[in-house]
Amino acid sequence: MNRRSLFVSGLGAAGALVVGWSLLPPRERLGTVDALPVEQGEVGLNGWIKIAADGAVMLAMHRSEMGQGTHTALAMLVAEELDVPLGRIRLFGAATDRLYGNVATMVASVPYFHPRETERGNETPPAKAGQWVVAKIARELGINVTGGSSSVVDSWDVLRLAAATARARLLGAASIAWKQPAVELVVRDGVVSHPSGHSAHYGELARMAAATPTGDVRVKRREDWRLIGTSAPRIDAAAKSNGAAVFGIDVRPPGLVFAAIRHCPMLGGSPGAVDIAPALALPGVERVVRIGPYAGSTEAFAVVAKTWWHAQRGAAALAVDWRQRPAGALDSAAILAELEARARAAAAADGGFAFHSRGDVAAADASAARHVEQVYRAPYLAHATMEPINCTARVAGGKVVVWAPTQAPGLARAIAAEAAGVGEDAVTVHVTYLGGGFGRRLDVDFVGQAVRVALETGGRPVQLVWSREEDLSHDFYRPAAVAILRAGLGSDGLPTTLRITSAGDAITPRWMERGLPALAGPVDTPDKTTSEGLFDQLYGIPHQRISHVATRMGVPVGYWRSVGHSHNAFFVESFVDELAHAAQRDPLDYRLALLKSAPRHAAVLRLAAERAGWPGFGLARPIAPGRARGVALHESFGSIVAQIVEVSIDKGRPRVHRVVCAADIGTVVNPGIVAQQIESAVIFALSAALYGQIDIVGGVVQQTNFPSYPVLRLDEAPAVETHLIDSTRPPGGVGEIGTPPLAPAVANALFVLTGKRLRSLPLQL
Amino acid sequence: MEIFVNGTPRQLPDDLADPALPLLWALRDLLGLTGTKFGCGVAACGACTVHLDGAAVRACVVPIGSLQGRRVVTIEALGSAESPHPLQRAWIQHQVPQCGYCQSGILMAAAALLAKNRRPSDAEIDSAIGNVCRCGTYPRLRAAIRAAGES
Repeated sequence: MNRRSLFVSGLGAAGALVVGWSLLPPRERLGTVDALPVEQGEVGLNGWIKIAADGAVMLAMHRSEMGQGTHTALAMLVAEELDVPLGRIRLFGAATDRLYGNVATMVASVPYFHPRETERGNETPPAKAGQWVVAKIARELGINVTGGSSSVVDSWDVLRLAAATARARLLGAASIAWKQPAVELVVRDGVVSHPSGHSAHYGELARMAAATPTGDVRVKRREDWRLIGTSAPRIDAAAKSNGAAVFGIDVRPPGLVFAAIRHCPMLGGSPGAVDIAPALALPGVERVVRIGPYAGSTEAFAVVAKTWWHAQRGAAALAVDWRQRPAGALDSAAILAELEARARAAAAADGGFAFHSRGDVAAADASAARHVEQVYRAPYLAHATMEPINCTARVAGGKVVVWAPTQAPGLARAIAAEAAGVGEDAVTVHVTYLGGGFGRRLDVDFVGQAVRVALETGGRPVQLVWSREEDLSHDFYRPAAVAILRAGLGSDGLPTTLRITSAGDAITPRWMERGLPALAGPVDTPDKTTSEGLFDQLYGIPHQRISHVATRMGVPVGYWRSVGHSHNAFFVESFVDELAHAAQRDPLDYRLALLKSAPRHAAVLRLAAERAGWPGFGLARPIAPGRARGVALHESFGSIVAQIVEVSIDKGRPRVHRVVCAADIGTVVNPGIVAQQIESAVIFALSAALYGQIDIVGGVVQQTNFPSYPVLRLDEAPAVETHLIDSTRPPGGVGEIGTPPLAPAVANALFVLTGKRLRSLPLQL
Repeated sequence: MEIFVNGTPRQLPDDLADPALPLLWALRDLLGLTGTKFGCGVAACGACTVHLDGAAVRACVVPIGSLQGRRVVTIEALGSAESPHPLQRAWIQHQVPQCGYCQSGILMAAAALLAKNRRPSDAEIDSAIGNVCRCGTYPRLRAAIRAAGES
């Protein structure tokens, strides 16, 4: 059954569950020590935490570190509750267990509630019931992914409670051993002591603690935090400054051989006649393996050799007669034209799936003083993670071991089992550091390929590494999209109607088909990611219809940092800017006028305005001659970000000098990492805004390496400032939230500079 | 064939030591020095930057056949646990790394720059560090290079 159709039918049945609603208790997610690999001298206290003999706290790390700092943030939650220094937390890879599934991402994917219905603590009954049902299902499925900016959101309650429970047991053990009341015990840096003179570190108490009941455990009060809210240094910074950090590509099990890959250059194509002799004739080359499609990959050949360079030389020497896919060659220009035609047809006929409707757009349009309508476009994009796609696998004695830089270890395990023809129990997945993920590593095609090759290497481990050319030409691309935006303005210049009709491929059903085929159904249900950032924007426009036409153009599409928000923010925040200029109003004031019922959004926008010196806010700061400011505001992954950019034109090209960011992300676990992630997301977004474009001609991706798929370099990097709103709300997402507002902010500034409105990405003057 | 890496002569297996073999793969796949990274293979990203006689070079396009009598230094020998290079200290102080993959190459490029010029201008830093970082550590690495130069 399709996972999301399961959701939908679950929601229908959920009305009856409204009575008796309670939050899914995090206690249910504590698990038992059965989930943990416990070695000599270690003692497990629940499904997350064990104590080492020396008293160090060992945390089952269930999320992948790909730069976003999640290992540090999650370790901080545990260190806080257990009163140990951050350096006393040791991470080990979580096993494959439903316990470590990501509940938050699945709840966030529930179609199709508007944010007004899911405001935390103030949910509407249907939204509340829907989320409850999905949380239950998510628990059962236990799909572990690192994505959707959800790691802290998902772990916030459960990890703190797991640590607090462990602490209570350790204190309980000391209390019993010393016959002293637990309330009189003091914990400092993992050492428990009593004024009577007793003292023991956690390691000395652990065995007894495991047999001690937990009692009624509460997490620390906010005012007692010592670590949460501080800019604690990242726990991976030293290893990432001396070459010691082990990424997937650095794994070196004994006997390792290397494999290079050459896919059919036409996406979805296949090999016809092939001559492998020229490859095998090269020194160092051992064998050639034909690679069928794995989890959505295009067919390929892998060449095995003693070094990757020898393998790559062999791959280049293969003489293959490649064949186009049966459905015909893909062409990105034709696809964009088709998307526009589909969006226009839907816009004219109330078509597409309406993710949000309110009021009566047609009636209100008839009385609007004037109308503005524009078409916006976004291209396909590649991820281009710095660490090329790779996976290491060993198949021996009926067992499979995989070392993978993956965002989805459970899916990796499943495809490895399938590729090797063994049960999942025979597969062990070790997750390494990821040299960037950005959503690319939510797909597991490369894991299936590596295991396939490992079947041919006589029990020796093999490391499959894609060249950069293979990476850029065989990605799962951010889908191209087209949107038609139409607003009716009242006599005051403010919009009374907004109709957005977008068209583009849905990612989630395609990802389900390739990664979770058992759960994919025959019919696509609407994918919220297609319309996120459009249907859920909070501008107070009384009449709206926000719909999307989900297409299937055949290009492999995947999740790309901030997903639908990445282009939808560009569409809506550029268009609102157009409306402000049409109304001859200041674009920032104009937005504030539309945010009267969205005080958090308005506060973020005001904070950015004050810090950037926007005229009329705080200390107005004059701007250098030749520069202009642009503003954009966007909510994604439960967090709100405003950006104000300063842009000039340098040798005919946009140059961004300064980006002032304000954000409300709820409770801040580590403001230093938040600032780092906002800087990261801004620069990632600026690469895409200025340069990012994948063109497909005759089925072949035209961009092949960094020279033809340029990304931002140091000399173009703006100064980035981050200002955070104080908040006691639960944490929102962090890793992706800085990406969406950047492109529209830059486009809005370029309009001020040039009078020209750029409605297509990348932004080309 | 023998190459001189991090102060030590290292023997490469004859059957694989093709003179055209790029230094990057000799380091990673034959010598197990994995701190130097593969990023693009065409000298466009800088992830594989090492020092050759003190100068920053992109190891993915340096054939081992050209290394006779030359000294290679990789990230593994930039500093040590007891005595990190000033740049490594600054890197932690300024919390530069995110995913960390490109950092070896950037550190090696920055170290070669500071060895010649302790007080580089912004333009000199820009021109010495043409490396790609997809996590966008650029503002922090600039600050860290300045701090290390002044230390």
